[in-house]
Amino acid sequence: MATSDDRATVITGMGAVSAYGIGAAPLWEALRAGRSSIAPLRHPRAAELRVEVAAQVPADFNPGAHIAERTLTMLDRSAQFALVAAAEAIAQSGLDFTLGDLSQRTGVILGTGIGGETTHDEQSHRIYGEGATRVHPLTIVRLMPNAAASQISIAHGLRGPAFVVASACASSNHALAQAAQLIRSGLADVVVTGGTEACLTYGALRAWEAMRVLSDDTCRPFSANRRGLVLAEGAAVFVLESRAHARARGARILGRLAGIGMSSDAGDIVAPDVVGASAAMTQALRDAELSPKDVDYINAHGTGTVANDLAETRAIRRSFGAHADGLAVSSTKSMHGHALGAAGALELVAVLGALADGVLPPTLNLDVPDPECDLDYVANAPRQRAIRVALSNSFAFGGLNAVLALTRD
Amino acid sequence: MNTELSEESIRGEVFAIIAKQAKLDIATLKPELTLKDLGIASLTAIEVIFDLEEHFDVDFPEQGADIDSGTLQHLIDAIRDALAVKAAKAARKGA
Repeated sequence: MATSDDRATVITGMGAVSAYGIGAAPLWEALRAGRSSIAPLRHPRAAELRVEVAAQVPADFNPGAHIAERTLTMLDRSAQFALVAAAEAIAQSGLDFTLGDLSQRTGVILGTGIGGETTHDEQSHRIYGEGATRVHPLTIVRLMPNAAASQISIAHGLRGPAFVVASACASSNHALAQAAQLIRSGLADVVVTGGTEACLTYGALRAWEAMRVLSDDTCRPFSANRRGLVLAEGAAVFVLESRAHARARGARILGRLAGIGMSSDAGDIVAPDVVGASAAMTQALRDAELSPKDVDYINAHGTGTVANDLAETRAIRRSFGAHADGLAVSSTKSMHGHALGAAGALELVAVLGALADGVLPPTLNLDVPDPECDLDYVANAPRQRAIRVALSNSFAFGGLNAVLALTRD
Repeated sequence: MNTELSEESIRGEVFAIIAKQAKLDIATLKPELTLKDLGIASLTAIEVIFDLEEHFDVDFPEQGADIDSGTLQHLIDAIRDALAVKAAKAARKGA
């Protein structure tokens, strides 16, 4: 859909909580330096688990330093991450929601794959493991998947549309797409959007073990010696704003969300599909009124599983033809791991960083080239390259694909 | 008690579990075939692995068990090895 210039959507603030700590800057600085955050799993029952590694928010993360105690008692870990990241993004945007009707014109659309998993796991353990008959009275408000969006709305007095989008590993990109649609349609001028996930619980880790897709050492996307994906946690939140609104107030623009593409494979529940993934990329380009040859960089879904690496490579070839050899592709999951519903949001920090700095973050651990993965994956070391247009891919379990097209404004 | 199982009885139980989960005629199963040969998709394959782990009360290693392209004989070998490891552990505890 072509958008009139004043309904174009731009990003004016970003914040993050990741395995690199609090802040979008520490996340981007690490990725542009090619520094991994994948480390031995930190969990009270780590010794029993087969999961060996993860990319976890540092142990010294202290939500009480950022969130009032009265609010904190209502929050699952996933909502804590979202609130801290949102505060950073909103502060950077410089928006004052007490002015005029801005609070009414501002929405909150977050993505999460699972929602309040930590709460669910803890309280279930009380009931089934310890035989308790009472759970914490705020269990429901902590674990409901919409809690993170609601808490951001409450914390900042945002009265526009607010809800959560759930599409597993594509949740963040679907949320960003939904946020853009709200602004394009005129239902909002500003949307606080992104994704959050905190699901490294005993129960969830056992469930991932049973799927047999986890690596036991590190994440090696597109490398023939790949051993699977590495789970992560975190949040990244952005202030998405109509360009007219941002320009009128003289806001600093970090990048433009120029196009969105979404598709469903309607096939296998877990195996990625070349046609579906390619359709989402092509649609994002058309939506942005760009052609394949305009694209300089793709931040890949790049989970480090055989199924993804091959399907994504073929999907890029299908969408880009000969230009597939002229663009760079990298998987930053090789560094920040796979934060599921927060993945696309964390990766958007990388894409905005690459657009701003002209540095492409690498695919780490690409030790053994795979003949079937024959694109330029920015192997092992960051690269100086000024870029104008980038795509960010997310392909979820369930066959749900969401791709964002980003440009410098 | 599983440690007493013969090669034939392990094979029989493995084949029965695969046939049930994948809804195949047990007569079509052969040790040299892979799950892929049998048309068993990866999601069904991990269910087969789960059923085998539950049935024999063993854990397959996270990596190494080449589930899709390994043969049924590889699965039988992996179970026999896992049962031996379990028996050795039990013997140490008992001693």
